[in-house]
Amino acid sequence: MSTVAQLETLPVKELNTIPLPPDFFSDLLRTAQNTDGGWGYRSGLASCTEPTAWSLLALRSQEPPDGKTLASASAWLRSAQLAKGGWPTANGKDPGCWTTALACLALLKISGPSDSAVLRGLKWLWETWPAEGSLLWRLGQRWQQRTEQIVRQDFSLRGWSWTPETASWVEPTAYVLILIRNVPKGLYPPKANERIDLAEKMLYDRACPGGGWNTGNPLVYGVPGVPRIGPTVWALLALRNRQSHRKNVEGIQWLERNYPSICGPGSLALANLCLRVYGRNVSPVEQQLRKFYERNQFLKSVPAMAWASLASGGIPDWLVCNSQTRGGA
Amino acid sequence: MSYSNTRLVPSFNRPPSKVAIRAVESYESDVEAIVWEILQEFNLPVQGKSVLLKPNFVEPDSEGVINTNPVVIRAAREAFLRMGAKSVIVAEGPGHERDTEGIVEVLRLRDFIGPLDRAFVDLNTDEVCEVPTRTQASKLKSLSLPKTVLGADFVVSMPKMKTHHWVGVTLSLKNMFGIVPGSCYGWPKNILHWAGISKSILDINGTVRPDFAIVDGIVGMEGNGPIQGSAKAAGVLVAGDDPVAVDATCARIMGLVPERIDYLKRAALLLGNMQEEKIQQVGESIARTRKPFEVLPAFQKLCA
Repeated sequence: MSTVAQLETLPVKELNTIPLPPDFFSDLLRTAQNTDGGWGYRSGLASCTEPTAWSLLALRSQEPPDGKTLASASAWLRSAQLAKGGWPTANGKDPGCWTTALACLALLKISGPSDSAVLRGLKWLWETWPAEGSLLWRLGQRWQQRTEQIVRQDFSLRGWSWTPETASWVEPTAYVLILIRNVPKGLYPPKANERIDLAEKMLYDRACPGGGWNTGNPLVYGVPGVPRIGPTVWALLALRNRQSHRKNVEGIQWLERNYPSICGPGSLALANLCLRVYGRNVSPVEQQLRKFYERNQFLKSVPAMAWASLASGGIPDWLVCNSQTRGGA
Repeated sequence: MSYSNTRLVPSFNRPPSKVAIRAVESYESDVEAIVWEILQEFNLPVQGKSVLLKPNFVEPDSEGVINTNPVVIRAAREAFLRMGAKSVIVAEGPGHERDTEGIVEVLRLRDFIGPLDRAFVDLNTDEVCEVPTRTQASKLKSLSLPKTVLGADFVVSMPKMKTHHWVGVTLSLKNMFGIVPGSCYGWPKNILHWAGISKSILDINGTVRPDFAIVDGIVGMEGNGPIQGSAKAAGVLVAGDDPVAVDATCARIMGLVPERIDYLKRAALLLGNMQEEKIQQVGESIARTRKPFEVLPAFQKLCA
């Protein structure tokens, strides 16, 4: 096992013997792009929405921007959008799902918030509610006396789900909140602020006792859930304008404590980015990520390459904190 | 792999199934020799075939209680290669953790099966095919299934022997939840819960029935499984070519009544044998290996 701490203390593998270009991860991403403009989850696989969105977000930060790559990736995302405005996991699949927020964010940062594909995607997100937590659902649960006894959380607080007609979860809710913070308030529909408040409260309600987040069940049978790096990062990034909130403080402290023991490159890249967004002083992560890459080639994961590319640069503009509580693109 | 696009119908005239139980004191035992001996009890058609081992990896766990132990995975891999399999890969799509590499690094899987780019596939990010369910027990009429699984000739479910806070136990049938990709269904694969966990277990196994099962019960988990329970040194490996019979045998070893486990009861109609008299035990007996597992109060009704 190679943790971050171990990688730092190991005899450094002679990186000089394997010369790597400075923009190593963005070069990997460019090489992994499919001829249709999109990216698969792994190099060589058919294009899907999520890896294409992350790759686009990572490559648009590169200087100078590669216009041809960005244009073909944007075109792929547009072609994958469904008539109702959502994005499926892959082109030709149905229905729209959690990847909609990521596709919208990528296109918004390329074309601006007035882009018609972005506006249709946002409309779909505003109108999509998880089934869990509706009045009808809560009445049914009370009658069955089941879920609420096992999982202790406030089911009236609703965010967004992975797939339609299911429950709210931390990551898909965080993705939407991150997107919304990049949308000018003027484009908000009526009652948008109430929806955002509800989703933020849902994230706080799902925080694990003692700090951090797991996928979204903080207490099962009364036992505190164990936080995980990914959900903690995304929740903290979604709530980054409330850094003094007790649960933000507990979450970032949990992340700092666990940072040295991270064993996977995707988690390491995201955690590093999050700590920097929160103003923490962490060492540059690119060398450690390269060592991870030499070991297992990230299991060819394109999202991990994109996150590594993002973590190797500055804080992306879509994660910059602003003084407004919401909006501010 | 037993996949064909036809509906399954209940069978009441199934031939008896064979299940092997072997006592294994610890992971320091000669697990490779034991697994080899177990597999020789069965006439498995793996010569020249591609074999896919599906372990249970959930979260990074340095204690070694949550995930299938890599010692058992290596033993199975070596045994199938020795039996003439064309290839043996390990494939899994963890249900709670997106950073699969983090899990396999904590497990040191690479030290046991070699370079992961050749020996391991993350099913969460695999290409998928939409496949109609053969049982149609849940409201899911079709499943997005990984091409790596659909393309394998022989699928082996390799779970950890654990209690489960939603369905009582997680064994070789529940372990097949892990073939359904997170990229399509999320982390966790919540749509399967909404469709009914027991019914989804039936639909997944009815559509991709594992050809063989090897349950790692050397150290299992009791209490609030499958993540937050306590280690239980059950000291067994349980294996067979009927996953229902294997799971029913494991339940009996765990001190539970398989007929009271909802998904096993459903699976016994369509997929395999659950009744003790229809299972031929080889190796150790259930009585000699029985180690009752602690269960949550909600599952006391499952206890013998």
